[in-house]
Amino acid sequence: MKRFALFAAISVAVFFCLAGISSAQAIENEFYLITPVSKDVHDPVLKAFAAYAKKRWNVDLKTSAMPQGTPVAYGQILEWKGKPRADVFWGGEGTLFDNLAREGLLEKVQVPDKMWNEIPAEIGKPVGLPLKDPKKFWVGTMLEPYGIIYQPKLLKRLGVEIKDWDDLLNPKLKGQIAQCTPDRSSSSHASYEVILQTYGWEKGWEWLKKLAANTGIFTARSRDVPNVVSKGEFAVGFAVPSYMAFAEVLNGYDVKYVFPKNAYVTPEPMAVLKGAPHPKAAHAFIEFLLSEEGQKLVSAMGVYPITPKYKVQGAPGSNQEKAVAFTGGMRSFFDIPVGNVYNADTAGQKKRIEEVNSYFRKEIAEKHKEIIKK
Amino acid sequence: MTLNVKTDKAGAANKPRIWPDVHAGGLVGYALLWAFFIVFLIYPLIRLFYDSFTTDEGIFTLANFHSFFTDAFYLRSLMNSMLLGVGTVITTSIIGIAVAFLLLRYDFPGRRLFSYLTIIPMIMPPLVGVMGFVFILGRAGTVNVILQDYCGFQQPVNFMYGIHGVLLVETLHLFPLMTLSIVDAMGKISPSLDEAAESVGSRGFRKFFDITFPLTTPGYVTGALLVFIWTFADFATPLVVGIDDLLASQAYLNIVQFVDRRLFKMGIVISAIMVILAILFLIIAKKYVSIKDYSSLSYTQIERKRLSPPLQAGAVAFLTFILVFAFIPYFGIALDSFGKGWALTPIPVKYTLQYFERVSVETPKFILNSLLYSAISVMICIAVGVPVAWAMLRTRLPGREVLDSLTTLILALPGTGIGIAYMRAFREPFPFMSIALIGLWVVIPIVLAVRRLPYTVRGTFASLLIVHRSFEEAAESVGATKMKTFRDVTLPLIWKGVLTGSLYSFILALQEASATLLLVVPGHEMMTVGIFNFYIGGSVNEAAALGFILIILGAACLFLINRLAGSKMGGVFG
Repeated sequence: MKRFALFAAISVAVFFCLAGISSAQAIENEFYLITPVSKDVHDPVLKAFAAYAKKRWNVDLKTSAMPQGTPVAYGQILEWKGKPRADVFWGGEGTLFDNLAREGLLEKVQVPDKMWNEIPAEIGKPVGLPLKDPKKFWVGTMLEPYGIIYQPKLLKRLGVEIKDWDDLLNPKLKGQIAQCTPDRSSSSHASYEVILQTYGWEKGWEWLKKLAANTGIFTARSRDVPNVVSKGEFAVGFAVPSYMAFAEVLNGYDVKYVFPKNAYVTPEPMAVLKGAPHPKAAHAFIEFLLSEEGQKLVSAMGVYPITPKYKVQGAPGSNQEKAVAFTGGMRSFFDIPVGNVYNADTAGQKKRIEEVNSYFRKEIAEKHKEIIKK
Repeated sequence: MTLNVKTDKAGAANKPRIWPDVHAGGLVGYALLWAFFIVFLIYPLIRLFYDSFTTDEGIFTLANFHSFFTDAFYLRSLMNSMLLGVGTVITTSIIGIAVAFLLLRYDFPGRRLFSYLTIIPMIMPPLVGVMGFVFILGRAGTVNVILQDYCGFQQPVNFMYGIHGVLLVETLHLFPLMTLSIVDAMGKISPSLDEAAESVGSRGFRKFFDITFPLTTPGYVTGALLVFIWTFADFATPLVVGIDDLLASQAYLNIVQFVDRRLFKMGIVISAIMVILAILFLIIAKKYVSIKDYSSLSYTQIERKRLSPPLQAGAVAFLTFILVFAFIPYFGIALDSFGKGWALTPIPVKYTLQYFERVSVETPKFILNSLLYSAISVMICIAVGVPVAWAMLRTRLPGREVLDSLTTLILALPGTGIGIAYMRAFREPFPFMSIALIGLWVVIPIVLAVRRLPYTVRGTFASLLIVHRSFEEAAESVGATKMKTFRDVTLPLIWKGVLTGSLYSFILALQEASATLLLVVPGHEMMTVGIFNFYIGGSVNEAAALGFILIILGAACLFLINRLAGSKMGGVFG
């Protein structure tokens, strides 16, 4: 026990030292992110933020990310009960952020009014998808669709073309589709909701069962989906955020992307956790990401600016231009009509989320082998 | 202050006495050992059971277990896990025993090289093995690409996706464990026993069942238990090939999702069931498995039969065949860590060093943390393990038998179970600490140390056995204290054994990724966690590069062990 006493003494001392140092600076010298946004995006963003902190406040910022799927990150934050080990939660569906705000686990976002007002309140028709919280508990940071990724070489061999959701049900694709489960991935969950709200509960599940019949693998994480498709292990991936698909292109793989009708468009919400260990760094991070520098940075990664003020544009041959070509020539979501049927009021309720997940588990996950045989 | 409790019994001179000159310091040390076991092993396990038998409000209930045993999916997972475990024991037994016999009993060209190469497959960090196999044998792996592009196959052959893929990966990874256990056991059979048997007419198969089989059973059972538990606790491999109806996978998936409290609770319950099963297996195998039986007193020189040329060729062909398969993941990992954009071609088209740069130069924390934490854990292992072994052999302190059982129990505990037990146990801050242990990086070296402790205890125990008691008594008779005797006489004689055991612990600590994955603290990730995070973050190449570095480190340690252990572990095979 002696060891512990000593250790406790040292850790308390170190704790106070660090606290002492940081209060003298503009922002703390550490920053932790919990996020389902994959490494392809959060890594460069964190690096750029550290460089920015060095330039602006001369702070050697130590950043770290806990990469977790949205449901896991959400549950983890609940589990922390107001004593979070991360500062900022980034990504997923706005509805989960509303739930966290209701639980009193979020702090209001502090960014300049001008910056806040430049972000439109919502996007999409007939149902509008909110891009920021009117109560200011969260703010959208970038726009990206959850679409379909495919391996052109394999599809050609199979003689299949993919333009919209229904093309996924082609019997020739049997065993060729990769998807993550809705209870592990919010992109999958949101896309299940898009199908359910397009066709209604009964017909929607029928459709999703047919999709399961063609599914060769339910991956452990949503990021695995573009992964196995780009390697050629499976031909098609369901519900893949555009930046994940584009990251595979930047990694040197030959993959293509489809943005199907009414696909869910996520604003990748961001919020500061109440009781965050480094609140100043947290607020500074949000402001950085919404600034022109931040928006330019992410637009090189296959996502779109959150305001009409910026567009994806770069020198010929730049990653920005590659991204534009990859997603079919679009430069901003505010230039095109965005279709949306996803109703956050329906889909966001805790009861509904559990219903969808448990229906999936009982009727698809547990019976997958039988579904395939049919 | 000296307690000097002497209860000299007649004839106790050769045996350790019940209370040999116990000093207060010694007793405090012994109490500290117990404190370590109680805090870091017993308490977390009790906490795990407590959580699985109560509701979130802390009321006793059996409902959690009821819902497990009435859920068809969980029961199927339990069944699959058992079948997979048994299946792997069977396949590794066939390969492992054949390899052990060939290397021990027969002489043929390249035997020494083979005896080194056949242990290598044990160095395979979780996830890396299955990744490597998928690169070569997956639906778009080298073999299938060749079959489709050049041999006219229309559909890829499914080598990997399914339970058979898991079996393949586990078998080729774990057979060396079986080989080592058998070699260890057979090394202890004295040739004189063989000769005695033959002189009374017991030959061939008869001799095998009369002598070899009964004497190798303890070693075999230990090996089988280790293989079984390893497979039973592995959740990474099945997930890569799309299998989630296994207990370990269900425990992991249910735990890492926090949304549904009911599922989270089930994750805890499943871990508790895994721990209970592990304890049950241990009790069944207890007759054969204990730290004492690991000890190899002395390896007798075994006479090897020279095989006839055709048989020699057969032996070489068999071993080469096994090794080619077992080395598939290494080829896959090497190709993918250097190759860029590798898809649907037999080997990568473009090569780069960028992934190595990213995981070593840009973010050196993975490698540094791995080395640091493993080193700390080995130090804890030595600080705890050497005294445990010494207390077991040289004292008659009460409770030392229990320490023996606890140490053996650790071997059987699934890593997922320990990880989840720690998560639950150390969530609240300690009485006089400001932060809970779970949020501190020290939890990683501690859990590593606990998990790898048996290897250090085993190594020390075996070495201590060889040090005759009379050496120490000689020193004591001329007035040396227990401490001084240990330092001047015992330690110089056993350090090699301790070091070998520690290096072994080090290799295994480097590769551990079931408990640590659940306990990792942000900013303090180690290599195995990095591999996992890179993999699920979609950066497979970086995961492969880290895996490649880890394999090289492991191989270097193994080589060192071989050198150090020299004749004793016989380059393992002598």
